[in-house]
Amino acid sequence: MAEPILEVHDLRVTFATEGGPVPAVDGIDFAVAPGETLAIVGESGSGKSVSSAAVMGLLPSNAEVRGEVLLDGRELVGLEADELRKIRGNDIALVFQDALSALNPYYSVGWQVAEAYRLHHDVSKKVAFRRAVEMLDKVGIPDAARRAKSYPHEFSGGMRQRVVIAMALVNNPRVLIADEPTTALDVTVQAQIMQLLADVQEEFGTALVLISHDLGVVAEVADDVLVMYAGRAAERGTVRDLFFRAAHPYSLGLLGAMPRIDVPPTRRLTTIPGSPPSPGSISAGCPFQPRCAYTERVGERCVTERPELTPRPGEGDHEAACHLGRRPEVVA
Amino acid sequence: MPGIVWFVVRRLFATVLVMLALSLAVYLIFYAIPADPAHLSCGKPCTPDRLEQARHFMQLDQSTIQQYLNFLRGIFAGRTFGDGPAAVRCEAPCFGYSFPLGRPVTTLIADRLPVTASIALGAAVLWLLIGVSLGVIAALNRGRLLDRLSVGVALIGVSTPSFLLGLLAILAFGFWLNMVPVNGYVPFTESPVDWAWHLVTPWLVLAVLQAASYIRLTRAQMLEELNLDHITTARAKGAGEARVVVTHGLRGALVPIVTLFGLDLGGLLGGAILTEKVFSMQGLGELLISAVGQLDVAVVVGVTLFSAFLIILANLVVDIVHGALDPRVSHG
Amino acid sequence: MTEELLRLDGVRKYFGLRGVPWQAAQAVRAVDGVSFVVRKGETVGLVGESGSGKSTLARVATRLLDPTAGRVEIGGKDVTRVRGRRLRPVRRRVQMVFQDPQASLNPRQSVGTILSTPFRAQGTRPTRTQLVELLHQVGLSEEHLERYPHEFSGGQRQRIGIARALAVSPDLLICDEPVSALDVSVQAQVLNLLADLRDELGLSYVVVAHDLAVVRQVAGRVAVMYLGTIVEEGPSDQVYNAPAHPYTKALLSAVPVPEPGAVRERIVLTGDVPTPIAPPSGCPFRTRCYRAEDVCATERPVLQPVAGQTEHLAACYFPEPPTSERT
Repeated sequence: MAEPILEVHDLRVTFATEGGPVPAVDGIDFAVAPGETLAIVGESGSGKSVSSAAVMGLLPSNAEVRGEVLLDGRELVGLEADELRKIRGNDIALVFQDALSALNPYYSVGWQVAEAYRLHHDVSKKVAFRRAVEMLDKVGIPDAARRAKSYPHEFSGGMRQRVVIAMALVNNPRVLIADEPTTALDVTVQAQIMQLLADVQEEFGTALVLISHDLGVVAEVADDVLVMYAGRAAERGTVRDLFFRAAHPYSLGLLGAMPRIDVPPTRRLTTIPGSPPSPGSISAGCPFQPRCAYTERVGERCVTERPELTPRPGEGDHEAACHLGRRPEVVA
Repeated sequence: MPGIVWFVVRRLFATVLVMLALSLAVYLIFYAIPADPAHLSCGKPCTPDRLEQARHFMQLDQSTIQQYLNFLRGIFAGRTFGDGPAAVRCEAPCFGYSFPLGRPVTTLIADRLPVTASIALGAAVLWLLIGVSLGVIAALNRGRLLDRLSVGVALIGVSTPSFLLGLLAILAFGFWLNMVPVNGYVPFTESPVDWAWHLVTPWLVLAVLQAASYIRLTRAQMLEELNLDHITTARAKGAGEARVVVTHGLRGALVPIVTLFGLDLGGLLGGAILTEKVFSMQGLGELLISAVGQLDVAVVVGVTLFSAFLIILANLVVDIVHGALDPRVSHG
Repeated sequence: MTEELLRLDGVRKYFGLRGVPWQAAQAVRAVDGVSFVVRKGETVGLVGESGSGKSTLARVATRLLDPTAGRVEIGGKDVTRVRGRRLRPVRRRVQMVFQDPQASLNPRQSVGTILSTPFRAQGTRPTRTQLVELLHQVGLSEEHLERYPHEFSGGQRQRIGIARALAVSPDLLICDEPVSALDVSVQAQVLNLLADLRDELGLSYVVVAHDLAVVRQVAGRVAVMYLGTIVEEGPSDQVYNAPAHPYTKALLSAVPVPEPGAVRERIVLTGDVPTPIAPPSGCPFRTRCYRAEDVCATERPVLQPVAGQTEHLAACYFPEPPTSERT
């Protein structure tokens, strides 16, 4: 892998709540290089969105962030608010899941894209607006000069997501974090947006951190994958590692639980019993243990000892956090 | 755009209907009271003959419905009471004639309106500034001392009767500190400085009372706004806190604040009864109160209808402004 | 031929828009002429993107909405004009499962009360045994009866939603996006539950979903909607393996496959779905279609059998030629 532009080491996020501290992210590492795509996969409560917010310094004041976030070697954790402000939207930008609520309903889309530009460039409103129109045109908004004056609610879902992407890209960021960018969209529109992101990456060499629960999307665009469960990394590797050599029972379960369009259906999908744990309710052992089919074979260790990410022998950087020594197989 | 024109046309039409119904109701109520306004104009000794004369002159000897129709006709054609050299003429638009004061109601209202408007507008500017800024401060310091203080001020404001606060203010600023005049009104056209100087205390008193509801509304709205996704977007773009709070947060909180403001101001322009009484100012409220004391039904009806009209008008203005402030609202 | 549970004939549902008097009144044509049959034992998938009218159609079929035109038959009886109290027998045969179990369960009612409501609406009182039986059917247990919706996970809440629909022993469940609010691992549990209930109780389903993979998993027959009309309908295998309508083909090609490096031909549609206020003349898809020709703008194409098939229908002047099985 090329020299990473964004590196995260041992990131921990704890929320202070009335019921005591709740760990949402419990020590994760990842890195992404220019032009590459890292997918962070996980279900609700896995801490994937909290991680991205922590990288951007966007968590509320009751969140405590520890660990290292290095942007091109520069530490972002603990940076002065004003210094961090200069980086946000300029070097790292964010694309949200729900474009309708991510856009301010009271301002025209052109204004909002222009604002993102003006916050980091000392230019007149007029120049910034021209730049905004240019950007809206680039992300495929037809008749951009006229549509820039329209308000978010006057756009379709797909067009709104294009606006959000234009806003994120207007300063040519080096890292783009996209949090479920296509989840709210129809598949045909999803295909358009994923294509747009790929084009942007190719043109500007942007590093993309894609947060998603959709394994289909991940398989298509990711170079590397981090599977998160209950605030921890369950598995990490290349996209082929995950889809062809899944080493964690949870990853395997996710793959089996997903109905597929390209193969005739079996009568029943493989499932993972139970539901994802809520943050703060995790005991000492492996967080996945209560839902895991392999616990019996491993025994006590799963309950008492928390597994750490360990390299898979002979598989390069492929790592899994599981006590099961060998590869789990599909159980129907 | 045709939407808004049609909206206003529809609303104005509705306003006419409401005013008609209201005037009829007011007429029926006030002319059904057993007291006879003619008594007061009949002189002493009041023989049945003279009373009958007075009733005839004041057109009180006709049926209530006939009187109401006379009232309506007077609006367009004016009215003449009595005939010969003693006749009294009330020019169109005639909204009734006050026999005790010897002047048409329209003239009375026109004379008194500047006083009430001076009190109301000045106070309105003050309470908007105080209420909104304290509300924002409270929201930003949620749960901390500043929040509790602001909410405390709001509570006191809501629960204090205006005459009490007014009298205390006169006592403190007027008598003890001898800073401001204790009563009276100087027209703006005569001396702007004296005008303001006489009004400072009533402005402050009214503003403190009214600001209370604005503190609470602004605080609640800001707390809600600042939790929205597009606020996170603004931060992610690199906007500073001031910009996030004012340009993005307060902008969204504006609509309900403006709505409340319009309605409050509309209500107050119809007469700030207690304030005018306490500060001995000859405004619309004072006119209404003395008219009630003298059974001057024409004035009571006139001022009541005028106040009602102001409130309906304020509602219409608020709705139009609402459409201008929120691009999502369409007046279809 | 097995018993018909649901038959829709030329159903239209327009929602009026209030305008200004000097302009003609407008209507959103949410459902614009749909005919559709569900037979006993079948699971029919209704797929389409947002704005295709699939949810509106589901609500018309359950008579939660009145159709603007057309006919709704349930169990062979015309119920198009049936209203109010007389809908009860209809409700006993057809029940609905909603997308968001959070929003469709009253947070102030215990599970027991929620499950009793359908019984009471039919004028009976359930025994505790009946309620427990319902919970067992959906994989919950007796101890859940006294709890409130917020104490459950999303998947469990959807199970409660299904149990409520099962309370009156319906023949047909209309499920509107039953799993789209759920995590992948939980989604599979609910899909399996639906399959189990079909086998145990002989239920039939209409599954409305935007997720084509979900529909393929559960449905034997599938209908594809676009802009208020059905553009293609047929046995799932045939529709998924050899889509005849260009829209279906594009839709299927847009679904990402969880297999890195898989080479697939993708048809990326340009533009957005046209507004249902003023749909295009002729074929509703022609403005985005890669095969459109002049004739497509004339008359709306009707559903007719695809060459060599009987049950596979497409509404297209230039359907895709049948291809050999794709894998």
